Parts: sequence; structure tokens; C-alpha cells
Amino acid sequence: MDDLEGLVGRKLPRDEDQLNELLYQIKCEISHPALENQGVLQTTTLQDDSELHIENVDTNRPDTWSTEGIARALRGLMGIEVGLRKYSLSKKPAVEISVDKELRDVRSFIACVVARHPKINDETIRGLIHLQEKLDQSYGRKRRRSSIGFYDFDLITPPLRYGVADPDEIRFIPLEGTESLSLREILEKHPKGVEYGHIVSQHPKLPILLDSQGKVLSFPPIINSNDLGRVTSDTKNILVEITGTSEDTVMNTLTILTTSLADRGAEICPSRVHYKYGKARTVITPSLTERKFTISTRDIRKIIGLDLRPKEMISLLRRARYNGTASGVKSLVVTVPCYRLDILHPVDIIEDIAIAYGLNKMKPRWPPDLTIGGLSPVEEYSDNVRELMVGLGFQEALTFVMTNQEKLFTKMNQEPTQIVEITNPKVTTMTCLRHWLLPSLMDFLSNNTHIEYPQKLYEIGDCAIWDFTQPNRVVDVHKLGCVSAHSHANFTEIKSILEPLMINLGFEFTLKPTSHPSFLTGRVGSILIGDRDVGIIGEIHPQVLENWKLEDPVAAMELDLSQLFMIHKESAGEAPKQPTSERAN
Amino acid sequence: MVELRENEAAVIKALQSHGGNCSFEELLASTSQSNAAVTRALTTLQEKQFVKVSETDQVALRLTEEGLEYAKSGLPERRLLQAVLELGGEATIDQAAKRANIPEQIASVALGWIKISKWCEVTTQLQKVVLKAAGIPDRTNVEKALELISSKHDLPLEQLPADLQESVETLKRRQLLDTRKQRKRYTELTAQGWKALEQGITVPEEISDLTPELITSKRWRNVSFRKYNIAAPVTPIWPGKKQPYRQFLDNLKRKLVALGFKEMTGPIVELMFFNCDALFMPQDHPAREIHDIYFVKTDELGDLAEYSRFIDNVAATHENGWKTGSSGWGYKYSRNEALKLILRSQGTALSARTLASKNLEIPGKYFSVVRCFRPDQVDRTHLTEFNQVEGIVVGADLSLRDLLGVLERFAIDIAGADKVRFKPDYFPFTEPSVELQAYKEGYGWLEFGGSGIFRPELTLPLGIKVPVLAWGIGVDRLFMMRARLDDIRMLFAQDLDWMRKQKVT
Repeated sequence: MDDLEGLVGRKLPRDEDQLNELLYQIKCEISHPALENQGVLQTTTLQDDSELHIENVDTNRPDTWSTEGIARALRGLMGIEVGLRKYSLSKKPAVEISVDKELRDVRSFIACVVARHPKINDETIRGLIHLQEKLDQSYGRKRRRSSIGFYDFDLITPPLRYGVADPDEIRFIPLEGTESLSLREILEKHPKGVEYGHIVSQHPKLPILLDSQGKVLSFPPIINSNDLGRVTSDTKNILVEITGTSEDTVMNTLTILTTSLADRGAEICPSRVHYKYGKARTVITPSLTERKFTISTRDIRKIIGLDLRPKEMISLLRRARYNGTASGVKSLVVTVPCYRLDILHPVDIIEDIAIAYGLNKMKPRWPPDLTIGGLSPVEEYSDNVRELMVGLGFQEALTFVMTNQEKLFTKMNQEPTQIVEITNPKVTTMTCLRHWLLPSLMDFLSNNTHIEYPQKLYEIGDCAIWDFTQPNRVVDVHKLGCVSAHSHANFTEIKSILEPLMINLGFEFTLKPTSHPSFLTGRVGSILIGDRDVGIIGEIHPQVLENWKLEDPVAAMELDLSQLFMIHKESAGEAPKQPTSERAN
Repeated sequence: MVELRENEAAVIKALQSHGGNCSFEELLASTSQSNAAVTRALTTLQEKQFVKVSETDQVALRLTEEGLEYAKSGLPERRLLQAVLELGGEATIDQAAKRANIPEQIASVALGWIKISKWCEVTTQLQKVVLKAAGIPDRTNVEKALELISSKHDLPLEQLPADLQESVETLKRRQLLDTRKQRKRYTELTAQGWKALEQGITVPEEISDLTPELITSKRWRNVSFRKYNIAAPVTPIWPGKKQPYRQFLDNLKRKLVALGFKEMTGPIVELMFFNCDALFMPQDHPAREIHDIYFVKTDELGDLAEYSRFIDNVAATHENGWKTGSSGWGYKYSRNEALKLILRSQGTALSARTLASKNLEIPGKYFSVVRCFRPDQVDRTHLTEFNQVEGIVVGADLSLRDLLGVLERFAIDIAGADKVRFKPDYFPFTEPSVELQAYKEGYGWLEFGGSGIFRPELTLPLGIKVPVLAWGIGVDRLFMMRARLDDIRMLFAQDLDWMRKQKVT
């Protein structure tokens, strides 16, 4: 907190709500790691104002992942320092780096900077390491796209060489280590090697960063050397190095770290990177250039819905640390600071204008366009069926579409068929999608054997069935499942439910004796409308009851509502519709 | 004369015939009344102080399956002895067991009892146990007890002759017998009861059930109807009912329809394209990995032929921003990735489909209430399969203020919140993005949902040139608040008792 206030240059509010109001504007908020609650937002005065936990909502704004970045933004919002913060590079490059050809297919890009005389102490070092880890994990995609190393520049003899080495050729002492290891040993034994080794271990030669004396700086992206790669509060000049597979990510990451170090008072000395593969080229890193966007004032007014004057827009932009100038009468030229990696499109800047204005200051407006609402026809049809089932005395159940093969097949006394399975299930009870509903209801019954009988349940739910002629290869079928369980449950009872249901839906049906392993032979039938098979009805086989540990007979039926709906529409004179092409109309 | 009802008269007379003193079971056996009728009669007779009912605990004896078998075929030791005699008075244990058809384990138990009761002389010759028997011993108390107990179901311990009671312990130890405590009711005529009987009992004609016959014959005018004890407990008939959470979602849908929203539907097995790509989520976005999306186990890819023109636009937008004014994500877009089959992980997939649909109406309002799937660990606050409510509003003149208006309306009119506030938020597919917080007395400020205006990188590639407001509501939490639940798993709880009794709203 002291550190943050030092950087901001003013005391911050001690009331949590007031402080949050500021932080919300940069999509951050105070968090209470020790006090995780269920979505109810705490309103308290900060108990301990020495330490502040700030959580980022915005995962694409790495500039707010550091105390320096938050302070920079707060200075603008609090009106202490508005407009663009300029960052400049020293004229003379501090270090030259050559990049070997062999790296092209291993880990192609590198960027470096030397920060001279930053004002740092143990706390700011911890902050830097925290920022490094967050950048590596999130923006650097767990070091795959980019990874960061810090070094004591005064121990290094430039120029540097970013090259490759045989796994057994070079040895060095990894950071915090005591014994010298080869690259192969690091991959096999060192915890960081085990964690991140997979990023490079498939290559016969591994990336290595050396100085002109042949001393190892690091084995990217795994670990730094203990000799050179250790930064303490006594370090006068810090070398920051980023390697990675995406040049944009590498450069952007360096920008974030450079601006943080510059905010700590460091002099920023660039490096020159000489790529020797492809078309040889030299790149000066870091790049701290600003970007310019031309935005029409009409767009700003239209998107926010406020009649702002260009002058107001510019003042709001400056609070959000942009520069803005009027360009003609109809547009603004906005300068975006180098660290705002999240700005892809003018709308990103317009949002900041709205936030600086204050969302809670705007008057909400109900959209004036008159539109006509309605349920989807198939949902409406299902709702009618649900009403009938309730009227027939059945309790509605709500179960998961995900289940497992044991429930769908084994317990139902059936041989497995092809169903929709999941590659990455989380638990063994949810490994596939159901293709019929009765197992879900049987499961429900088996969980309620201690509750009074009779138990009469129904559910209308989605089932998934392969259909390779469809664009999604799978169709959702709406099904109605219905079970009655009690000491006298039988075929007659369930048929006496089916009959009024079908009459009320306007269908004439017949039952055709069939066989099905989940039902008692001779007491099971297919439900036919004309010659279309729309469901099954019968008494559940005692073996199935035993499998579900049920002691009362169960009579059951299952109807394909998607088909019933189609037949219903056909008879109403409308063209048949595939359930998957069901879209809002 | 004393007036009693038919069942009361039957009971008091039956009790008299037992000498004024008998058990409930005996009483029941000697009337033609049902158990419930006798119980009811006893209650009223007690109230009239004609009868006294007392209860005592007693021990009932019941043979186990093994015990029942031995009661029929004899104890194994006796059958073994029998076999030895049949084999000439001397035999090895194996020979005897074989002849008596007794399994090896039981034979060794029987041998133990033979030794204890000294029925045979037991010696070991050539490592074989040899039995020598002289004659048939008398029936033991254990055998007598076994026979007696098997003759009557749940025989009370007191009814066993005193000399056999000791055998109960032995039978229990041999696991041939179970004892259980039973509550016994005894009935007894009081002095007043005897007096009533002396005075004589009459039963005026009383009708219990009103029948059609009574009505049509008009006989109902001449009879009196028995008074019921209306306080007597009954077995409830539980109503057919909608599931509480679905009922809540139904109400929510109805309100959205009333506000002019049309329902969207879409497939559970979705293409990566609609779930992510069309929403401008870059293909290496962390939320597209196996930790956040379920992948269908198949080598098949989906088919987007119907949407081919959109894919080109979306691909170009991801790569370099296309004509949207954006810089794009700057990577090489993979069409194969877009065709992958997954389980829908967010309701926003339906919004993308709706925007890509030929039938889209502008201006228009759409909503969806659909099941979504994410590989989350299931706990008090997470489900792997859950419902999402999402909506979009499409119109030429929409702005951020309209978005705030939709959110405010939703929170106050639909969710019943007292007031709202807005907080900047972040979603990959909206800009600006707003979090809705709503205040409800007794609950404080709650996070209700996320929203925003769809990015041009989303709308323009799908051919939409007007703003689209989008919102999603944490509907699970809303219901939990309403139903006062603190565990999200209750939404799908397979708890019939809870469903039957949950208050309808």
C-alpha cells in the first residue's frame, strides 16, 4: 500500500468501496484471498492497510498486472497526471545479441533491455518476480509463447549469443541451485525442467543464451543461471530478456516490463538483436512507440449514447492516459500508449471514454424499438406436454444430459450401441451424452427408494443421437420419459396414461408387440402413429429393477417429442422441419 | 342400554368372550373387523373408559434360515450319528459326513457338538478322525426347543417351557435363532366395561360410506352417518408438479417474452466455430482448452458449408482484422479447428447462430435458456452441466445506455432487485463490457451477470452492421437466492421429497 501510494503520489481512500470505485475503472478490484465468499460483495474498511490484494478482471490488460501499472492508471483517474506518459530510450544500445540460424524452428525470437539504476528494494523485486510469473503463465501461455529472464548486467560481458547447444555439451548451476547440471540433466531432474521441458525437449539441440565469455545466462524457457541470473536489491543494472515463439508476444512482454522499470526511475537502454536466419535483419528492442487511431466523434456518441462534445471526449481520454486531439470537426486522433496491448479496435478506446465518464452516471434507457416476443415452437409444444403430464399426476424431474455407459446400457440390461462420448470427462459418472431418457428416471427412482410410494415421474429432456448427414453430426432429440413405481404398477396403468395423453395431443396410435431387453417380454410395445415408431411402453424387466436396487415394479414409457412435433406440424399443413435447423425465426 | 358403534360392539363382545382379558392379536382374530377398525374401536372404548389397553415389550423368537432347515431335517450332529450307526457303528468323519450328506465345514461343527454331548467315542487313527457310536441318545433340550420354536412364528420367549429357555442361548450362539424385541398390546375390560355389558349393548344403524345405492334408493334419509375423527392422520397424495427450478425458468421465459424477446434454440453438440471462433475468441485462447470445453470423442469434423461466406470473414478478422477496423489477433487461422465437435460451453453460441441466421429480424430481441457444459469439478458452487440465460438486442440506434436499460429492467422487473449498479467488465466478445450488480434487501449487493456490446469483429463478419447488445445472467444463483439454497447441486437434486414439498412460486 505504501509502495502504491508512493508511486501514485497521493494517499488513497481507506474505504474499500471508494478504492474499488477507482480500481473498477481499470477492471481491477480488491480481493480477499482469505475471505472468499459466495458472490456477495463485501463492504468493509480495509483492516490491514499495509498489504493490498488487487485482482484483475481484465485478462488482456497486462499493464495492470503490476503495482507500477496500477499506479500509472490511478494517477490519471485521480487527476494527478493525465494524458500520455512518454517513454524514451537512451540513444546508445547497451547490448548486441546475435541469434543463430538453428533457433528458427526451436524458439525463434528474443528481445532485451537494460534498465540502469532503477530504484528497487526487496519489495519491488518481489513485485517484479510476481509480474514475471503472471506474464509467463498467462500472456506467455505457460512460457510456450514467451518467457522472461532477469540478470545482473554488471556480471555480463556483451555481446550476447542466442544459440543452440547439444543437451550434454554445456553445464551450469541453475538459479537457487548448488551443483552444475547439463541441459539434459536439467530437463530430467530439475523441477522447472520437468514442468516446462516439453516446450523444447523434442529438439535435438536446445536453446541457450551466452555472453561473449561463454558464460551461460540461461537455458530458455526453463531456467536462468545462478551466477548471472540472480537479481537482488543490490543489483544496479538489470538485464531483462524475453525469448519466445511469437515476435509480437515477445516484444509486448518486454514493453510491459520496460515501462514498469522506467516507472521505477530506471534509464532504459535498448539492445540490438541480429537475426541470422531467413532474411538477416536487426531489430532494436524494446519498442516503446505509441499507436494512433482516428475515431469519428459520431461513433463515440453513438456507441456510448451520450451527446459528448469533442472537448469532453479529449478530457476523458486524458484521464484514461491517452492523448487526443481534434482532427477537423468530426474526428479525433487518439494516441495510445505503448503498454496498452489490449487496444485492437477504436471500440476499445471508446469503452475507456465511457468508463472515465462513469457507467453509473449514465441514465439507462430501455431500447425504444418495439419487438414481438415468443417461445420457440418446439419449446411451446413441449410445454403443452408438460402441462398434460402434470395433470396426469406426474412429478417433473430435472436430470443431466451427461451420464455414463453403465447407466445407459449395463443397468438397463442392454448391449452398448454407438453414443456420443466425451474425450476429456471429468468424472466417471459423466462420460457421454444420453440417447434415451428412461435411464435418467430409473436413476432418479433408485435414489428415492426411502420416499413414499407411489412415485410417478416424468421428464422432457434432450437426448443426443449420431446422424452423420447433419452438419453437426449429432442431433438433439427432445424426449418424454415417464415412469410409475409402486407395488401395483403395471402395463395397464401406464397405457391408461398414454391414451389420454395421445388423445389430447390429437394423435391416433397403435401398440405393436415388440421385444426390448429393458422390458418384460410380452408386456412391451412400440408406440406407432401410422407406421412411424414414436416410442416404447411397457413393464420394466425385473433384472433391470434389481440392477437399480428397486423393490417395486415400474411401468414406463418414452416418446420422441421431436417426431410428435413434426407429425403435428405436418398435419397442421406446415412443411416438416428438422429439429437441428430449428432456429429463431 | 349402551349405544355403541358396530366395530366397538364387536370388540367389547370379543373381549368378553376372552374372559375380559386378551392380547390385541387374539382380539383381532376373534372379530371379523379389520385391524384399523379394531384399533379405532379400542381408541373410542378407551375414551369411554370401558377398556384399558396396556403395552409391554416381549422377546419374540424366530429361527434363521439354517435353523429352519435343521428343525426339518435334524441337527447335523444327530444326522452324523445316524450315519455312523448306519455304517455299522464305526466310521471316519468323512465317511459319515458323506453318507449324511453334510458339507465338510458343517461336519466339523457337528463333530464338536458330538464331542461335547459324548454321543460317540472319538479317536484319531492314521490321521483320520474315527467315530464309534453305541446307540441313539434321547432328544436334547436344544432339539426340543428348535421344534417348538419352528412350530410358531415369532414365538414369545415366555411361552417356551422354563427347562427349554436355557437352550435359546445355545441356538443363538449357533446362529440358528434370532431374537427380537416386540411391543405387545393387551386389552382388558374395566369395571365400567363389565357394567355396560350387563346393561346390554345396542348398535343403532350407522353408515360409514355414502354409496350411490343409498342416494338412488333415497335410503340416506333414514340412516345416520358415522362421525369421523377428522383429526386422524392420512397418507398424502402428492401432486403432479413441475420441477421447482424448471418452473422458475418457465416464469423467467414468460417475462422475457412479455418484454418482446424471442426464444433461440441451438444444438448441444456444437461446432467450435459458433462456440468460439465466431465470438472472436482466438484459437489459442486458454478458455478453448480441455479444461474449459468438453470435446466429442470422434474423428469426424462438422460441416459449415452452409456458412462458408462467414468463415472466410471470421478467418480474416482473426488474422488481420479484415474490414472491421481491428488489428485482429495476428495468427494463422485454422479451419479444421473451427469444425471440431464439442459440447456447447456457453449460451453465446446461440446468439452467434442467430446473428448468422437468414431469419434474423432487425430490430429484434432474442433470448435463450439452455444447458451448457464445462469440465468443472462439481462442488457447492459449480456444476459441470448448468443452465445459462442469454439475450441479445439488435437495432440500428442502440447504445451503451440501452444496454444499461436492459440490465436494469432485468434486475428490477424480472429478478426483483431493489436497485442496480454497473461495473466495467471484460469479455473477449464484447466492448464495452459491463457487469450488473443488483441490491436486494437481506442479501446485499450481488453479481448478477455480464453483458456488453458485441465487438465489430464479431458482428461485421456475420454481416450485421448494427449494434448488438448482449447479456448473460447467472440464473442458477438467482434461483438459489429465491429458493434459499446454498448448494448449487440442489438445482438438479434427485430428491423427490424436496420436490414434492418445495413451495410453488
